[in-house]
Amino acid sequence: MAYNKPIPPKSQHTAPFWSGAKAGKLMLPRCTNCNRVHWYPRLICPFCHAVELEWIEASGRGRIHTYAVQHRAFGGWAEEVPYVTAFIDLDEGDRMMTVLRGVDPSKPEEIRIGTRVQVEFEAADEETHIPFFRVVEEA
Amino acid sequence: MAANLKNAAAIVGAAESDDIGYPEERGGKVSSLMHHIQAIKNVSNYTGIPISDIQGIFSAGWSSQLAEHLGLKPRYIDTTSVGGCSFQMHVHHAMAAIHAGIIDIALVSHGQAGWSYRGAGGPRGNMAPGEIDPSVEMTMPYGVFGAPSQYAHAMVRHMHRFGTTPEDFAHIAVVTRKWATLNPRALMFSKDTNPFGGPITVQDVMDARLIAWPLTLFHCCIVTDHGGAVIVARPEIARSLRTNPVWIAGAGESMGHSNMLEMEDFTATSAARSSATAYTMAGLGPEDMEMAMIYDSFTITAAITAEMLGLAPRGKGYTLWKDGHAAPGGRLPINTNGGGLSFNHSGMYGMQLLVEAYRQLSGTAEDGINGIAGKQTGATTCVVNGTGGTLSTTGTLVLTAEA
Repeated sequence: MAYNKPIPPKSQHTAPFWSGAKAGKLMLPRCTNCNRVHWYPRLICPFCHAVELEWIEASGRGRIHTYAVQHRAFGGWAEEVPYVTAFIDLDEGDRMMTVLRGVDPSKPEEIRIGTRVQVEFEAADEETHIPFFRVVEEA
Repeated sequence: MAANLKNAAAIVGAAESDDIGYPEERGGKVSSLMHHIQAIKNVSNYTGIPISDIQGIFSAGWSSQLAEHLGLKPRYIDTTSVGGCSFQMHVHHAMAAIHAGIIDIALVSHGQAGWSYRGAGGPRGNMAPGEIDPSVEMTMPYGVFGAPSQYAHAMVRHMHRFGTTPEDFAHIAVVTRKWATLNPRALMFSKDTNPFGGPITVQDVMDARLIAWPLTLFHCCIVTDHGGAVIVARPEIARSLRTNPVWIAGAGESMGHSNMLEMEDFTATSAARSSATAYTMAGLGPEDMEMAMIYDSFTITAAITAEMLGLAPRGKGYTLWKDGHAAPGGRLPINTNGGGLSFNHSGMYGMQLLVEAYRQLSGTAEDGINGIAGKQTGATTCVVNGTGGTLSTTGTLVLTAEA
């Protein structure tokens, strides 16, 4: 079935992220001056304000920071309610938004903040492979 | 060192548009511009200040359009539009402009046909066609739609960190509804004004339809029309008018983030900073506040903000409602108009906070327009905090009945 959920337009400076995603890699921006990873991708380091940034391949691992269960949605997402949105603390630093996989939306109390997750990608179109996170066993 | 602006200006009057709530069901849609103009005309009539005397115009994006519509040639124009707290910031900016001697009289205006033109959408932000903010690019794939889907994440984190429960926050909806039953202008005043209106229980809140767990419908604000306006003036003018001035003892503003993706602590907002600035300016603290008007887009917003304003310990904001302190007759009345939860919420609710704070401190909360017996409190001080975006921007005012 064709992907029927929102597909983001691309900023000029995020091409390395999307080309990485297409290859199954989670690419994150890192400042070459202060070495800190940030998310979402900036034109300037939000920590030290250097403009010399690079892209690194991340482990794709993180932990649930917080979550919610969506019962009201529109478009393609409406067909999937209820589903669990979450913010993920990445092992490399900073935080990504996602929709969680491998959890039961009907039992929200059983989802635990701090739980291990691993990135996986879904092809939305030729140029857009969207990262989602799946709950995995503690390594 | 910044100048101390304490009492450099006063709010000399506040008014609403005539057709708030669900005007469509009473005969027809009302446009946002109509809400603005009704409210401006009403506040001019109330204060006796002719519209032609307005020198500065403050609104969330409407200022040049409004000034032109009114035939004004203002010498101070501010269109700060950072969500529902914009109006607290407008008062702050107006006070600064008056203190600087640029203007003597400022108009702050709001008009938003949140119900009449619901779902209409419209252009947002400052991006050209084809451009996208990278924060939007990296969050729009993930199935969040509007404020409830975002704010739910904050309640879950609060529950995790402090051991709170959805029932704890439900008390905020229940107590705020009690205030709405004292306000005939509130959408949820009674079963006659809305099928969901009248008193509610914690169980009602818990049993309501899930929007974004743990938020049920009654944890969320309503969506209505509103217009409102206040006039801010120099002290000498404030003292010469027929209306009671309400003094701006303190003002402050701040922000934590724009996109919730950048929210560092999901249980805290920049209201800690904006209120610290306002309290310091006023020479007053949370212990001096006799009531509070707190933006309640959701129950969790009010709970967190009460903590940020120092009205309750961290993690315990909800106890102000659960223990009855915020209720009619309590020691610290909060959201005496019935709040965004049960009175009115047009999308940007900061003006409703201002109008009610003015009415309470000027002794006109039961003026026959907006309240019945029991709504007027004896408060002489009030902290007003607006929150914009997704727990993003905040503006705090400390208002007092006496200079």
